[in-house]
Amino acid sequence: MKKRIIEIDKVAKVYKMGSEKVFALREVSVDIHENEYVAIMGPSGSGKSTLMNILGCLDTPTGGRYAIEEADVSRMNDNQLADIRNRKIGFVFQTFNLLPRATSLKNVELPLIYAGISASERQEKAKLALKKVGLEDRMTHKPNELSGGQRQRVAIARALVNNPSIILADEPTGNLDTKTGEEIMQLFADLWKGGNTIILVTHEEDIAKHAHRIIKIRDGLIESDLKNPAPVIA
Amino acid sequence: MKIAEISEAFKISLEAMLASKMRSFLASLGVLIGISFVIIMGWILDGLDSAMQDTFNIMGADVLYIDKFDWAGGKNWDEIRQRKNITIEQVNEFTAKVKNAELIFPTARRWGASMVYEGENYSGFPILGTTYEQSLSPAGEITVGRHFSQFEDLQGANVVVVGYNIYEKIFEGKNPEGTIVKLNGHKFRVIGVIKKQGNMFFDFIDNQVFIPMNAFLKTFGNFDRSISIGVKAGSVDNLDAVRDEVRGVMRSIRDLKPHQDDDFSINETKAFEKQVASLRTIVWSVGIGLTVLSFVVGIIGIMNIMFVSVVERTKEIGIRKALGAKRASIAWQFIMESALLCFMGAILSFVICSVIAYFAAVYLPELISDKLGFLSKTLPYNLLFWATLVSVVVGMLAGLIPAVRAAKLDPVDAMRSE
Repeated sequence: MKKRIIEIDKVAKVYKMGSEKVFALREVSVDIHENEYVAIMGPSGSGKSTLMNILGCLDTPTGGRYAIEEADVSRMNDNQLADIRNRKIGFVFQTFNLLPRATSLKNVELPLIYAGISASERQEKAKLALKKVGLEDRMTHKPNELSGGQRQRVAIARALVNNPSIILADEPTGNLDTKTGEEIMQLFADLWKGGNTIILVTHEEDIAKHAHRIIKIRDGLIESDLKNPAPVIA
Repeated sequence: MKIAEISEAFKISLEAMLASKMRSFLASLGVLIGISFVIIMGWILDGLDSAMQDTFNIMGADVLYIDKFDWAGGKNWDEIRQRKNITIEQVNEFTAKVKNAELIFPTARRWGASMVYEGENYSGFPILGTTYEQSLSPAGEITVGRHFSQFEDLQGANVVVVGYNIYEKIFEGKNPEGTIVKLNGHKFRVIGVIKKQGNMFFDFIDNQVFIPMNAFLKTFGNFDRSISIGVKAGSVDNLDAVRDEVRGVMRSIRDLKPHQDDDFSINETKAFEKQVASLRTIVWSVGIGLTVLSFVVGIIGIMNIMFVSVVERTKEIGIRKALGAKRASIAWQFIMESALLCFMGAILSFVICSVIAYFAAVYLPELISDKLGFLSKTLPYNLLFWATLVSVVVGMLAGLIPAVRAAKLDPVDAMRSE
């Protein structure tokens, strides 16, 4: 059995809207192991985004336990969560979320700055990550000088650069055309083959089919958690 | 905080400031004005101080002036007016009795003198009768010709040494040695010119003429005013001993009983220094008031701009936080930006004030009045240091609340904003 990276045990998230309680997640339990390729699916309002925020340590659950590599993050404070996000999670967002005024290289360096790595080492690692996503000739370009696909590649390089435990991709192809989307999915497949653990959050069946395990969420509960017998080979 | 984070915060704040130069400039305007106030004020006071100091040096820090009147003021004017005059007999007795002093030079003064030279009549200055010893004091330094000799002094020769302003006005820079003038109708021979000593406060020093005491008494015989006695102690250390002796001698000459107060004053340049110090305090308090006011306006301006900056960068803050930036890291980014704005304000203010100071010092004395000659061409550097420090601290304070607000933003919400 491979190492367990994520342990979610009866996690719940309740929002208070005035006097009313909104149950975004009721009771969710999931384990994810090293080098898994998991898709989390669900319609909007299912609790999928809440689960993704908790997985990414951007939010804390109101009940249950969540641990990354045995470190309990469910009760951590803001700064401790920032540290976990920095070291263990690589984010890829639907809208890329790159800094518009910074070059590709600078954008990829960003997580390393907050890890306290020296400028020369940062540059070296960032260059390596950009090479991995095939953008070695776009290092000095700013986001507005890049195509959508290229921007997402920069974001993926940024997610990879600090060797995180998981790569958490939220609708990574949502803002891309089909062909470019396929290229990005190919990149994820390559990363998986290279040993990375990938969690894909999506509402698109076609995209989810690339994963090897598909978890479906509905009304704050896990509807199904199945192995994908025939993942799409990109 | 790690070094990488600090230098990143600095780079971000610098970029942010340069990205909107006009806005940054306007934001720092309040601080710029505040600092300029302090600097200009400090510059003027510094100039006054050194001008003042020069004058004190001429009057002599080790010189006591025994006089009917008190320089420092604040005493009962009626009591002072009723004091008996210091007469020439008392002066002579005093001179004979005092042992510790280096120099004693009495001065009798007659106001409203007139001088006729080449048919032109000049008036509105005093004639001073003094002794040869005055020529040995710093106030008796000569620039053209010579001072009167001991012999001329004793003899009461009709010779006159003129103050610098009178020399410039009447003789227009020509060598006046040997010229015969009429002083209040009496013929006198000009033998020298006293070095320029005054400034805007002590202009009168250059607006007087000196003649030997004996000539003074002879010419203006029924002199019914008090004579002032200058006593040079030789050194500041010797001042206390000389003051005690002078007081004792004066009291015995004036026949004072032990229970009676002194009916004369022993004046020192220190008395002026006290007055100047209180003047300084007033100028500073007014200046500080204005400065605080413009700093408050400046802080509000900067705080406002920082709030705008936080709103503009909300998405960026979200991204940075998602990628691992801690609260302190985000907060520093904004505190530094705000401090940098104030720092730039300070630097701009230095540049502007330096230019003002230079041109003011070079041209104002010529254009307006040479009384402004005390202005220095350079700014007081220690003040620049403090002004910079204060502005940076003020900047950090102004940026604090916006910075804390930025640091507390929720990364998910922040990333969603456009």
